[in-house]
Amino acid sequence: MTLPQGTGPLAGVKILDLSWIVAGPTVGRAMADYGATVIRVESPTRVDTARVVGPFHRDEPGVENSGLYGNVNAGKWGLTLDLRVSGGQDIFRRLAVWSDIVCESFTAGVLARWQLDYQHLRELKPDLIMLSSTLLGQNGPYNQVSGFGSQGAGMAGIQDLAGWPDRAPAGPFGPYTDYPAPRFALTALLAALDHRNRTGEGVFIDQAQAEGSMQLLAPALIDYKNGGPALQRRGNDDPQMCPHGVYPCLVPDGRDESWVAIAVATDEQWRTLAELLAADGSMSFDQRRQAQSEIDAALSQWTSSRSAAEVEDSLQSAGISAHRLATTEDAANDPQLVHRNHFLRLAHSLHGETVVEGPRYILSDTPAEPARPAPQYGEHNELILQEVLGLSEREIGELAASGALS
Amino acid sequence: MLCPYRVIDLTDERGVLAGQMLADLGADVIQVEPPNGSTGRAVAPFFADHPDESIYWAAYTRGKRGITCDLEESRGRDLLLRLLETADFLFESSDVGAMAEVGLDYQTLHDRFPQLIYASISAFGQTGPKAHYVGSDLAIWAAGTPLLMSGDDDRAPVRISQPQAWGHASGDAAGGSMLALHARHQTGCGQHVDISAQVSAAQATLAQVLAHQLGAVDPERYGGGVKIRGQAIRGTADVADGYIVLLMGPGPAVGHFANHAVKWLVDIGAAEAELLDENFVTYADRVATGQADPALFPRMQDIMREAVAKRTKQEMLDISIEYDLLLAPVLDIVDLGNSPQLAHRGFWQEIEHADGRRVVYPGPPLNILVDGQSQGICRRPPPDLGQHNAEIYGELGLSADEIDALRAEEAI
Repeated sequence: MTLPQGTGPLAGVKILDLSWIVAGPTVGRAMADYGATVIRVESPTRVDTARVVGPFHRDEPGVENSGLYGNVNAGKWGLTLDLRVSGGQDIFRRLAVWSDIVCESFTAGVLARWQLDYQHLRELKPDLIMLSSTLLGQNGPYNQVSGFGSQGAGMAGIQDLAGWPDRAPAGPFGPYTDYPAPRFALTALLAALDHRNRTGEGVFIDQAQAEGSMQLLAPALIDYKNGGPALQRRGNDDPQMCPHGVYPCLVPDGRDESWVAIAVATDEQWRTLAELLAADGSMSFDQRRQAQSEIDAALSQWTSSRSAAEVEDSLQSAGISAHRLATTEDAANDPQLVHRNHFLRLAHSLHGETVVEGPRYILSDTPAEPARPAPQYGEHNELILQEVLGLSEREIGELAASGALS
Repeated sequence: MLCPYRVIDLTDERGVLAGQMLADLGADVIQVEPPNGSTGRAVAPFFADHPDESIYWAAYTRGKRGITCDLEESRGRDLLLRLLETADFLFESSDVGAMAEVGLDYQTLHDRFPQLIYASISAFGQTGPKAHYVGSDLAIWAAGTPLLMSGDDDRAPVRISQPQAWGHASGDAAGGSMLALHARHQTGCGQHVDISAQVSAAQATLAQVLAHQLGAVDPERYGGGVKIRGQAIRGTADVADGYIVLLMGPGPAVGHFANHAVKWLVDIGAAEAELLDENFVTYADRVATGQADPALFPRMQDIMREAVAKRTKQEMLDISIEYDLLLAPVLDIVDLGNSPQLAHRGFWQEIEHADGRRVVYPGPPLNILVDGQSQGICRRPPPDLGQHNAEIYGELGLSADEIDALRAEEAI
């Protein structure tokens, strides 16, 4: 027995997704897009934070209104299960045996307390593939640190590295470790699936989300660990590009501000830009760095009397890297994102229609999009329990009465 | 796990992480550079004791083998085509159109090697009105929308000081290529994986990139936090020796952490014991119905900020673990270098370079058990320019004399 099968490279692959918020669910979303059958397990008694942070439909907070939850869970089937109740644990075990891959992001040790961790599940299903994803990993003195990717950003060194040298760190936007981590997890899970299909061997993946993000800091980490300086936040300065920064533009009606990013990487680009600014086009990189504040002032003056779109267009046509700092309205209307069909509109039973991002890859022969919007609480409970586990209506009723399905 | 597979990695600094992700999972990854070296070898920072050696390039070519090959010349292209007969993946990150100029575009190679998975990493994607835009970390971060959301509200938006955009795009190239591998198992055919770094950067917005289309208001930048509808929410707090990330809020998702914070504040005598009767999970609902004091939570936040300000990052980390609080220290690069957690997990790996130097690297991004056994860690150092020419061209059946001749002709 099974749920309706998806289509695509992962058709027939079964995933039990107990992870939550963003880092874990993003992985299952990608696999659902490409045809995997993904059951997202959650409990309304411990609300997934993704359901209570925005952006919300019509700006109205509500656990079924979150565009974030919708974005990272589209295409999945939804089951509510309370794993603290023995009936809930039993259902979980049976679903784990059904699945190829289990993804979870509980604090290290929590699943072991219920005997639902990899060691126990492996006894039931030796070729299981399992991802356990936490901020700092399954072992070590700080493995019990719980929290969100915002704490992760603090402990991965990212928070400290976004901002101005004369000020407290501004930090990146949101829970940063949730952004790189799913890339590493997805790639490894797909490798594990390939390996299992060839060898029959199961795989366990212990992901520290902070360590994933630190891969993107590797140059700074290697520098410091091998006798070099410790990188510190430096605003928008770049060691090899000048001018390089964010400059103010003419503010359109209805907005408070408007900015453009400009990055000059070569002497040739500088000669082009210098003509527009009536500056000295022969300055070398070192000379430009010396004169950086004057150049930035002249450039700001030039951009201030132009719209960000105009600056972007004129610099890009001259071969200089520039782009307006897009608002989310700009993104909605960005001809490039529209060209890539990046925003997908899905029919939704509560909202009429919802919008999610498309997959982050365009595969020429097997393009994908989610087959359905993210599940509402318990939306597919009966379907899953009947079709996957073969439970009768009476058995489902008893489970519900025991509190296992809440 | 990926030991049956070979990656021909033509990327420069814009895509060099993608191949490494597959190398760390066991694939045979061959970095191909022009005879005078990749532009990635000129990217900062540089080793303190070897100022002409790029740490950036070393960081993301560790685990690969390296050859040189002049793709501008037909001799070099012929060699690459011979190599591609043995390959499963090709990764490239050149300017859009540049591969076609040398006859190595997807369609041409797909016709010749239908099983080849060909991944292209670019700033905006292979087609579309911005496909030929000049990319850069900053411009991509701006185009994907995270840049406008980050920074102090009284200054220009600000990026992360170690560039990130190409890393996200490389990560997506690795994942997309693995999806294409599973497709190949079904169809026998490779395909083109087209990665746009702009799209990859949009991941770093917590889905706020959708705000306008959902009818929500854009978040605004605010140092150490965020502003929503003009309301500033601080996400950090000052401590004696730096900063911590501190999130406190009532409600069903995080209210229990606030309850734990009250327990700590009462234990240290900073808050009165009656506060233990308050439940911040249900607090907001009770404020709405007039059953709880709306001033209570803000007052507790003030007490919390005052209490943490007297303690160090390390003290607050220990307290956070003991009481299960929603806070963590803001670690800098020095703290990471000395982290007991990273040391315990064996995160730092010492690797011997070809010249005998021992260099410390961050370890692979995941700890993986295959069939219950821990996976060995690849200690292959970043290749010197052309280091494996003899080895790899030899594997293709070229004799030492032929390789010498190619070298003399500067084809490799």
